[in-house]
Amino acid sequence: MLRFLKTFCIGTLAIGATAGVAHAEWPKDRPIEIVVAFAPGGSTDVMARAMQPFLEKELGAKTVIVNKPGASGEIAYTYLSQAKPDGYTFSFINTPGYLSMQVQRKLRYDPKSIQAVARIVDDPTAYVVKADSPIKSLKDLVDQAKAKPGSVSVGSSGVGTDDHLAMILLGSAAGVSLTHVPFPGAGETRTALLGGHITTGGLNVSEFAAGDLSTIRPLVTFGDKRSPEAPDVPTAKEQGIEVFMSSERGLAARRDVPADIRTKFSAAVKKVVESPEFKEEAKKLALPLAYLSGEEWEQQMPKRLQSFQDIWDKTPWVQ
Amino acid sequence: MEFFDSLILGFSTAVTPTNLLFCLIGALLGTLIGVLPGIGPTATLAILLPITFFLPPLAALIMLAGIFYGAQYGGSTTAILVNLPGEASSVVTALDGYQMAKQGRAGAALAIAALGSFFAGTVATIGLAIAGPTLAGFALSFGPAEYFSLTIFGLLCATVLASGSVIKAIGMIGIGLLLGWVGTDVNSGSERLTFGAVELFDGIEFVVIAVGLFGISEIIVNLESPESRGLIASKITRLWPTREDFRQAWPAVIRGTALGTFLGILPGGGATLSAFSAYTLEKKVSRNPQEFGRGAIQGVAGPEAANNAGAQSSFIPLLTLGIPSNAVMAMLLGAMTIHGITPGPSVMHNQPDLFWGLIASMWIGNLMLLVINLPLIGLWVKLLTVPYRLLYPAILLFCCVGVYSVSNRAFDVALAVGFGFLGYLFRKAKCEPGPLLLGFVLGPLLETNLRRAMLISQGSPSVFIERPISLALLIASAALFVLLLVPAIRKTREDAFVEEEA
Repeated sequence: MLRFLKTFCIGTLAIGATAGVAHAEWPKDRPIEIVVAFAPGGSTDVMARAMQPFLEKELGAKTVIVNKPGASGEIAYTYLSQAKPDGYTFSFINTPGYLSMQVQRKLRYDPKSIQAVARIVDDPTAYVVKADSPIKSLKDLVDQAKAKPGSVSVGSSGVGTDDHLAMILLGSAAGVSLTHVPFPGAGETRTALLGGHITTGGLNVSEFAAGDLSTIRPLVTFGDKRSPEAPDVPTAKEQGIEVFMSSERGLAARRDVPADIRTKFSAAVKKVVESPEFKEEAKKLALPLAYLSGEEWEQQMPKRLQSFQDIWDKTPWVQ
Repeated sequence: MEFFDSLILGFSTAVTPTNLLFCLIGALLGTLIGVLPGIGPTATLAILLPITFFLPPLAALIMLAGIFYGAQYGGSTTAILVNLPGEASSVVTALDGYQMAKQGRAGAALAIAALGSFFAGTVATIGLAIAGPTLAGFALSFGPAEYFSLTIFGLLCATVLASGSVIKAIGMIGIGLLLGWVGTDVNSGSERLTFGAVELFDGIEFVVIAVGLFGISEIIVNLESPESRGLIASKITRLWPTREDFRQAWPAVIRGTALGTFLGILPGGGATLSAFSAYTLEKKVSRNPQEFGRGAIQGVAGPEAANNAGAQSSFIPLLTLGIPSNAVMAMLLGAMTIHGITPGPSVMHNQPDLFWGLIASMWIGNLMLLVINLPLIGLWVKLLTVPYRLLYPAILLFCCVGVYSVSNRAFDVALAVGFGFLGYLFRKAKCEPGPLLLGFVLGPLLETNLRRAMLISQGSPSVFIERPISLALLIASAALFVLLLVPAIRKTREDAFVEEEA
């Protein structure tokens, strides 16, 4: 019996000791999983992969990018909310989808269990027309919609996306009726626009500013000021209509991840966003970098969430 | 002469040792992932994207493009050998290719697929170089109304796809359409047939259905026979196609190439449609349509040429307009922007070495693929002689890995197994899964484009006959419909059904 106890004690000690060795301090233990809520090849995915080497260098740790596409991000966010709160799982979150889905349907996860860690990009929504379109300004667009209600068709990347919400806001601010034509993504919107099948298309600044502008002409951005990536494009406010809409991207983790890990991670993201090398990459992708700490970003969210709730109460975008 | 100058410039850029090396790496990797079902080119490109930051832009693009068309070659291999189409475009290859393999003609099927693909790749590359910009402009004139009419045409083709009873084929198309409904409706954002499962919000993945209906159900059927021999009943007589095979295959290859080059330019579903329509065309022009579904070499040659030509010509909208026509092209667009290249009309003028270098590398890559694939045929065919009890766990494993890797979830694997059992029941009921898949692919296209066209026309249905391309397609559909009803043809179809599954 004594012998058994002795062996048992030594055994447990040994296990305890090895376990202690195996668990290195964050983030050295194992690769950090970074979830992208969209399929490979999308703009969030490309951005994540462009950031990856820089972030790894800054953290001194390996990272793995895992795509969990589906249900406009809900699958990824649910996955994040169920991950271990040990600082080895982060996910990209994208507004307005992250906020608007809280308004439009019952979710499979509790939004309060997720905390924003760092905002990386604030990408204003913009409307573009074909280069030879007679519509030269937001006013022209509104005038045409007034003259022939319903004749202005707006292509968007889907129901409840920033393009679509901007259209609802624009419609109510200018008192016009616009025809919403949803597409599965920005590529399809652009194709339909170039073929002359829709009047205007909603794209984000990063989706056209680095591209070829010989065939399309941006009409308006819905940022609060002109975007440095597209300095020639006037904002809606400048054109007399107060509509603001942008798509933000950043990283989030579970709320119960230790605060020091979140702070360290956020600081690493900040360093990456501010490094000249990454800025160079971001410029090529026309990414409007706009770092905010998790706390600063979260402070803005209730106001936006409320504005989506107000739109929803007036015109629910999903029937 | 300008064209030849450009081509010489392209080849001189493409044959530098670095570019040749990356072309080879891309082609090899592509073949490999193509053979593994489900591990698609999109995921591979995504994983390799950060690595390409450290490469010169052209070498990076050459490698990424190589993976894409390499996967098209590799995908046919599993479709022919084990009835496992990894992608939508290789579904029709499995119909006759697998039957050929069962008859001991796997070598001939693989060789014809490789040679047909090479020919199609060559023609499509030349097409891309000569007429790319013009064709891309034409593709843009395809709006919602045109897509609607094209899809109607495609659905009618689906009934021809079946070798059995028309009624059953229509029933299978119906089930396919129903499955296509699952998910969030693009137009209204509301959920349909999701039963509250968040995994179904974006609909069912094509790979899940294809692997289940073809791959897994095939395994179940094969396990019914207790023998432990390989897949092939008869002896493998020869690896190379006979003279007669070539005589029958080459017109099919030419027709498939033409169809694929044209349809591949259309964004969204173009490449898939090209393989399906090539099969339909071959069956229509054939003097022995009853051979189809039982190992007709034209049924392999036509669609294979078409899907490779389609893959090649899907570069046209990307390179000339900056429009990605599918997920792989979107990935390439991302890679280009990271390297500071702006795809669009200006690339050709500002960076001619890059534009023509990439095009020339595609031809070189296709040549490499032929050289890689032809000697491998012997090896692949040997695989069929492996006792099935050893082979099927491996196939099953690849099925699961492939399905899981589409969106990294176990739910899809369970769903694929469910489709496997469903597919087994379909086989017992002598219903073919081909039309179901086409219905599944085309249903959502049909619906969204119909509703989109009606939104834009503000509810006026005359838009479908006012637009000339749409009208032409509708007339062609009507003609096909009449052909289907012509008693003579119906008779041969019924004969075929009676002889079926002897």
